[in-house]
Amino acid sequence: MNCYSENIAPDSFSGIIFAMEGIDSSVTLINGPSGCKFYHSSVSDGQSVHKQDFDPLNYPEKWYFGQPRVPCTYLDSRDYVYGSREKLEEALDFLNKNVTFDLLAVINSPGASLIGDDLKSIVSSSIKEKKFVIIETPGFSENICSGYERAAIEIVKQLSIPKQKVQPFTVNILGLSIFHKYYRGDVKELKRLLNICGIKVNCCLFAGCSIEDIDSLSSAKLNIVIHPEYGCETALFLKENYGTPFYVCDGPPIGFAATEKFVEDICTILKMDRSNFKEESEIARAEAFMNISRVNSLTGLPKGVNFAIEGTWSEVYSYTLFLVKHFGMIAECASIINKERNVFRKKTTALFSKLYLPESLEKNIMDTSSELVFASGNTIANLKLQGHRFSGIETSLPSLGYIDVIPKTHLGLRGALMITEQVLNGLMFE
Amino acid sequence: MKQIAIYGKGGIGKSTVASNLSASLSLLGKKVLQIGCDPKHDSTRFLMHGKKITTVLDYIKVTNPLDYKIGDILYTGFGNTGCVEAGGPTPGVGCAGRGIITAFELLDNFNIRSKYDLVLYDVLGDVVCGGFAVPIRNEYADTVFIVTSGEFMSLYAANNILRGVSNFDTTAPKVAGIIFNRRNVDNEDAGVIRFANAVGLPICAEIPRSSEFDTAEKAGMTLIEKNRHSEIGSIFKKLAGEIVSGCKLYKANPLTDEALESAILGKVKTTYAPTPAQTETTSEPKAKFNWDPTDVTSPNRYLSKNIINDEPLHGCAFNGAASMSVHIRDAVIVAHSPKSCAYLAYQSISSAGRRGLFERGALLPVSLSPNFECTNMKEAEMIFGGTEVLIDKVKKVKLKRPKAIIVISSCPSGIIGDDIDKIKYLEEDNMPIITIKTDGNISGDYLQGMLMSYTVLAEKIIKKGVKTIANTVNVVFEKVVAKNTNSNFKIIEGFLNAMGVKVNCRFLCETTYEKLENFLSAPLNLLAYDDYTGKILKNYFIDKYGCKFLNEPFPVGFEETKKWLESVGNFFGKKDEAEKIIQDNEKIYAKEIKMLRPYLEGKKLMIITYNHSLDWILKTALDIGMEIVKLGILNFSQDAGFRTNLGISLNMEENYDREKRTHDIKKYGPDILLTNYESSAGSTDYISDTIPMCPDVGFYSGIHMAKRWAKLIKLNLQGEWKNDELLFRKYCP
Repeated sequence: MNCYSENIAPDSFSGIIFAMEGIDSSVTLINGPSGCKFYHSSVSDGQSVHKQDFDPLNYPEKWYFGQPRVPCTYLDSRDYVYGSREKLEEALDFLNKNVTFDLLAVINSPGASLIGDDLKSIVSSSIKEKKFVIIETPGFSENICSGYERAAIEIVKQLSIPKQKVQPFTVNILGLSIFHKYYRGDVKELKRLLNICGIKVNCCLFAGCSIEDIDSLSSAKLNIVIHPEYGCETALFLKENYGTPFYVCDGPPIGFAATEKFVEDICTILKMDRSNFKEESEIARAEAFMNISRVNSLTGLPKGVNFAIEGTWSEVYSYTLFLVKHFGMIAECASIINKERNVFRKKTTALFSKLYLPESLEKNIMDTSSELVFASGNTIANLKLQGHRFSGIETSLPSLGYIDVIPKTHLGLRGALMITEQVLNGLMFE
Repeated sequence: MKQIAIYGKGGIGKSTVASNLSASLSLLGKKVLQIGCDPKHDSTRFLMHGKKITTVLDYIKVTNPLDYKIGDILYTGFGNTGCVEAGGPTPGVGCAGRGIITAFELLDNFNIRSKYDLVLYDVLGDVVCGGFAVPIRNEYADTVFIVTSGEFMSLYAANNILRGVSNFDTTAPKVAGIIFNRRNVDNEDAGVIRFANAVGLPICAEIPRSSEFDTAEKAGMTLIEKNRHSEIGSIFKKLAGEIVSGCKLYKANPLTDEALESAILGKVKTTYAPTPAQTETTSEPKAKFNWDPTDVTSPNRYLSKNIINDEPLHGCAFNGAASMSVHIRDAVIVAHSPKSCAYLAYQSISSAGRRGLFERGALLPVSLSPNFECTNMKEAEMIFGGTEVLIDKVKKVKLKRPKAIIVISSCPSGIIGDDIDKIKYLEEDNMPIITIKTDGNISGDYLQGMLMSYTVLAEKIIKKGVKTIANTVNVVFEKVVAKNTNSNFKIIEGFLNAMGVKVNCRFLCETTYEKLENFLSAPLNLLAYDDYTGKILKNYFIDKYGCKFLNEPFPVGFEETKKWLESVGNFFGKKDEAEKIIQDNEKIYAKEIKMLRPYLEGKKLMIITYNHSLDWILKTALDIGMEIVKLGILNFSQDAGFRTNLGISLNMEENYDREKRTHDIKKYGPDILLTNYESSAGSTDYISDTIPMCPDVGFYSGIHMAKRWAKLIKLNLQGEWKNDELLFRKYCP
């Protein structure tokens, strides 16, 4: 009997919190029990270290419970009956007097949302000079992506972001969050590639952006959606309300070809020259070639190696395309998470049919026999426990625990090289 | 757009008033929307000519969100009045207040209100909870009418409504006044007038009791539609005209219960006993919890420290119960919760497993792959109750044929009142269903959940009258999320095996249903930790099952390990075996102490920690000849009361804080500062080091720490990285 974690996944509540935690100088206050805060604080702090130490005396027992991020109002049974106003006001008073922030996000926990407290009226009477956003209903068992997009749309609505003059050659990046394992490296690489082509990134929404970046969302010439599951609704909302056109990547730009298409498309839309990028890409391809060629000449690999991938529809699409086309590997198992976010379902299904591997799609990753597994640390650990022999390449959280000092990425050219490195090191030589 | 809320006691005639008012407003050429906010969903029936319409909540229950259409829930009644019914759950299940919130969210998504000149909310009875207060929030009703008769309970409800409104009229007054709906009871007019005067509100309309209403409603119509020239109808039309031209609004000034009785009944003032909330205003400190290990009769013996001391709850009971229950490897744990609760619990169960694999290559089955499933309660379950999804989930889990199914409830399921015991009818002889009603954190904190799972699972599973198996022990209360749980167990098991003693059952750590059934076959129990929870659990087993426990918990440091081995040896008649282990290690310990003295003797040691039991480190420090200058003990959610058996006077202070730290470092000038987490408030004047929350067991726990200090002092190692703090502040603000 192995139940694995088929129905244990983060939901919209976490999506909203991780979205808000992706804003610099923000405080995300959970109006709820402390049980809802520990994990979120831990992940937020782990993904983006804000404070230099973990000294619990610096983070008061009430609200922070010895952790640096995501304070809470520590509601208990009494508050569910009599309302959370008193504790919320006390927390707001503390934050007002003791914590520096540009934006306060107050999020009801699922339980707190059932009691119907009027957060807006409570928060507005305490927070007079700072911006705030409130989310009363975090959703119940909705997927994490929908929570993330709800946060994006609510922040634009509640902050009443004005329509601004469009700046040429500027873009916003949507659909990246601190819950994406390598988000710091992802942002760095995407900015680097676009900058090479003379394109400025205005706001990387919820991926280390400032409140000023959010205020200027409407000034971008184009919105780019990296992970469609996390960004399409936001892009549509911004188009309807500010008229900003958007570009949805053909899956996150994973691999050389996908990155080249991404940059080429953006440059075409913005009428920018991509010649500098072209050279950069050729150099990266050459580096990869040299290393693959050496391994290949010794072993014949990585061609024909089976791999398993776990991810959203678009992640599975992008990884598979790269691993199959570039390395000649075989997609033995593709397991989909957040399935109901299905904007890329048809495309991914078509890809697997085209590769003559339809039976590999939507296969339980616990049944894989592949020697390379691209998945979360949790799935990798589960497979190790089953006794399966393979190399695990982490693509999503939770991580096994490696601390990334150098920001890494699976996106763009550096991401393609990183995946190349991980594939070559993960192969089993006979 | 004007928005009007009609409130009043249940059955007082709100829907009749609301629909006649809507009809009158429509005759004035206004586009009116009436939203019924009562689970019995009959507010708009007479505008709809008796037709019952699909409620928003019934619609949401069966419709995919992608298929939502406004026309499915918005109907057109008399005078082109828009008619919507929020609806609600079956009486006695789910949460009707939550239903109102959900229905309003959908209506907002359709931006339905903007299409009308006037919106009328017909709201159930009283402002009984936050959900039913939604219509009077600032973004909704700007005008509130209270419908009442002269009956006391109706006026009592009217006053309660004013109390509700007073929470929401902080920016502008909202109350237009009273609509007096006569019931023809004695002295009715006088009572209503006295009430209106007392709360400072006008009586905006007086509706007589009349058979005209019955005649119209029998015809499935409002009185306005049925008899356009009715005198009573003209009352509604007049009120409609006043609404359109703009009523004067008043602040809600509710009366105290005493004043209310006095105003309505003309009663002599009653003296009320103060409520507990009022009596709690004194600044007297609350009684501190004092653990008495002999007190097994205390009614609080199974309550966590947070609950007893009324401290902020650390974590939730749901998570604590889940984290312990998964250790019965052949059971399946079902979380009756939304995904988020189960996910958060799953992360706290699995993080130690992932870390263990990454750091040590350890494969811990429970941590890495717990048998943990979730009912994934959605919005619909919050409104209509979640029993059905729980039944479905348990039926599916049964197909896996686990030894037992353990169902644990979350805050949302507790708040909406789901009764998880209803699932027990699915139980089979060889597949019990055990419920742990934590209701998230409603029953308490993480430790409370642990205690609940320990006691519930013990009572349901442990068999009495099993045959004793000689030379076996149970291990009780290992800290399953600590990194060294397994390595500590291995050390203890190594000692036991050397004495010919085997482990029967680990309660509750990596065990099975059968091992737990046979728990009582071991003649001796070994407590891993004797902290607050450990003591409660030990007393539970002694009280409930007459279990024998070794006095000493898992030993940390030389002295404790020596004593522990002697006790185990004495119990099983294995003195010689125990003595041999002690002798082998005594020589090594003495040698290590001698080697450390040149570096540490006379050094000043200061400790600030959550650990409430420190003899293991203090004894080693004293053996080396160090001076213990200060012990600062932090409040810890999982333990209460500093404990020592050293029998010496220590400069110890409980409830330590940040300010005291700064002062004491300056005052005592320690050579070594030990904390659980190293602080940036450091200094190069002393060596700082960390001590684990759960130390390693065995002879050398203190020695291993002291060896580190010796190295650090010998080499004066600080780490040059610390010099870059200013750069961190400059570049990573």
